[in-house]
Amino acid sequence: MANETYDLALESTLTEIQNICPDITHTFMFNEEGKIITNQKTPKKTISRIVASFEGMFEKAKAIGGFDYMALEASKGRVYVTKINDIHLVTVTSKKADIQFIDTVTRIIVPAVLRLLEKISPTPLKKLAEITEEKHEPEIIEETEEPAEEVSTEKQEEETVESEFQTEPQTHQLMVENLSGGFLGGLLVSSDTVNIDSTILTQWEELYENQKIEEVEIETFHGKTIRCKVKPIKDSKYDGKGVIQMPEKIQQALEIRKGELVRVKPIIY
Amino acid sequence: MMVKRKMSQEITTETEPLAIEETTSSESKLRKNLEEIKTHEGVIGYIFRNSKSAAIDLKDPTKIIDYAVLSSSSIETGEELSELFDLGQIKNVVVEGKEAKVLSLVDNQNRISIFTEKNIDIAKLIKKLS
Repeated sequence: MANETYDLALESTLTEIQNICPDITHTFMFNEEGKIITNQKTPKKTISRIVASFEGMFEKAKAIGGFDYMALEASKGRVYVTKINDIHLVTVTSKKADIQFIDTVTRIIVPAVLRLLEKISPTPLKKLAEITEEKHEPEIIEETEEPAEEVSTEKQEEETVESEFQTEPQTHQLMVENLSGGFLGGLLVSSDTVNIDSTILTQWEELYENQKIEEVEIETFHGKTIRCKVKPIKDSKYDGKGVIQMPEKIQQALEIRKGELVRVKPIIY
Repeated sequence: MMVKRKMSQEITTETEPLAIEETTSSESKLRKNLEEIKTHEGVIGYIFRNSKSAAIDLKDPTKIIDYAVLSSSSIETGEELSELFDLGQIKNVVVEGKEAKVLSLVDNQNRISIFTEKNIDIAKLIKKLS
């Protein structure tokens, strides 16, 4: 779960970098073991060649105390390679890109995002990079044997970070789980209702002065959003697991499927 | 190959920059600039090479080989990046390490690498050489 969160959050970060600065033509990350994190806008073949090229460079940069940063200026554009912990962020820009702004993004904003991610979950970034190439293997709840203590620690940390952003409606990242009607084949399932942890609903209700939460907004990491009704999870197997049970119809509308992460926030009237 | 030949000779001469084969007037000007830059505080030394000649002048001769290899590698990596992303002719590459940094410039056939301490303003060096 934590790895998936990292994966999606970093991919999302890369996409956002390009969104805020259209002069950035490519951006991706890799670690010194050659693992790649990309938002798919740069072909993997290209990235692999670059990573191979950098492997030699890193070795040779030991002469100057180990690689830290690289900037290339060419006639039609620029490339910046910034080392952040164990990860290297590559940013390719057009010639007209604002250097100061790019510098701020690559040397301040992205490292801040990575630090925040580390704070949210203790999973090493190195491991994140390793799972990125495997590409969104859905996590199976039943097979996860995480100690309850670890789950609660994760939740506590999530809550701590969330408390720093109280001005925004409280958002939870939840993993999509199918919502079906069992033997009745969906007859008992309302196609416009999702189920989430009762504790989250209670938490929201307390936060928003006992206002009953009947609707939520769901946002995917690709930017698709939908509003739908919400009810507490009835199946104890999924309660407290950080999942959102979602009918197939909503999954199709959001273009997501079981195992993917979504952001969920309450609709306050 | 040429770099290696020069490097071994450089180690024997140590203090004087070593020039191999004939030089042109533009090279002379460039080298004059490099000599001047070398006197700046925080500049560790330089490597200059083209198809006809080469010169290495570093304060610490024991690092000549490592620095020469890094100089080539930074330019080659830069050229590969430029080719892959269609960025055109490379002008300069800056590689920063934890202890020092290197500015490599490509000017026609001439390839120059200037090694400096971390706190040096590379933009000023680029301006001086352009």
